[in-house]
Amino acid sequence: MEIRVVEDIEADRMFIEIVDDGFGMDEERARRALDPFFTTKTVRRVGLGLPLLSEACRMSNGDMQIQSCPGKGTRVKATFQHSHIDRKPLGNIRDTLITVMTGHPQVDLLYEHRREDKVFSLDTREVKADLGDIPLDAPQVVSALRALIQSGLEELGAS
Amino acid sequence: MTLLEAAEKLGLKPVAGQSRLSRELDQGYVSDLLSDVMANAKPGDIWVTLQIHQNIIAVATLKELAGIILIGGRQPEKQTLAKAEVEQVPILLTDLPAFEVVGRLYQLGITGRR
Repeated sequence: MEIRVVEDIEADRMFIEIVDDGFGMDEERARRALDPFFTTKTVRRVGLGLPLLSEACRMSNGDMQIQSCPGKGTRVKATFQHSHIDRKPLGNIRDTLITVMTGHPQVDLLYEHRREDKVFSLDTREVKADLGDIPLDAPQVVSALRALIQSGLEELGAS
Repeated sequence: MTLLEAAEKLGLKPVAGQSRLSRELDQGYVSDLLSDVMANAKPGDIWVTLQIHQNIIAVATLKELAGIILIGGRQPEKQTLAKAEVEQVPILLTDLPAFEVVGRLYQLGITGRR
């Protein structure tokens, strides 16, 4: 899975792009993914992830696009006006990434965050290669990753 | 007090979920942030908001809320109304601002205690 965040201050846009190589969706499903009462979950009747993201984009002068192909994967691209007063802050990216990485340690994650001319990126495939037999969710690894992400984002001045 | 009685006293206009207006009401929640409502509203709450997108019906269903009051003369989007009818989530409209709505509900004994 790849997550890319681009903060283009000059163009006053922010993009969040999430790409996976999972099951993908046909056109009908991709369209219905914006319906909050459509979900593939069996425990609940509502699925709000993409509907909420789409509405958050719209409320800050942006939009959300889904491209998907069955058997290949899905690409979600969310666009926002960076300076829009109602644009929601990115929030705690560090802990969000830690949750994604430790919740699904078997999934490879590439995170890339660009702000103007600076870039922070983290590829768990490289981390796993360096770690050898030590699991990604070992406590010492998690705290090292947390510190790495924290300092990387601080250097960017990410918002 | 039922939702219908409260609606009559405040002059709210029910536009969806008519079959659920007889529900008893004693608590409410006001917020325009859907994630906040998901985290903090309680089943049976009447929800006061300015949001009109169909996502509010999903949140109300998920949290088993008594209904939604849309303030400031806002009209629900077409899909919001359609979803509210299917799910029988009451939507009530008012020209009053949120502060007035909440104040008047409080006077009727509807509180926001958590």
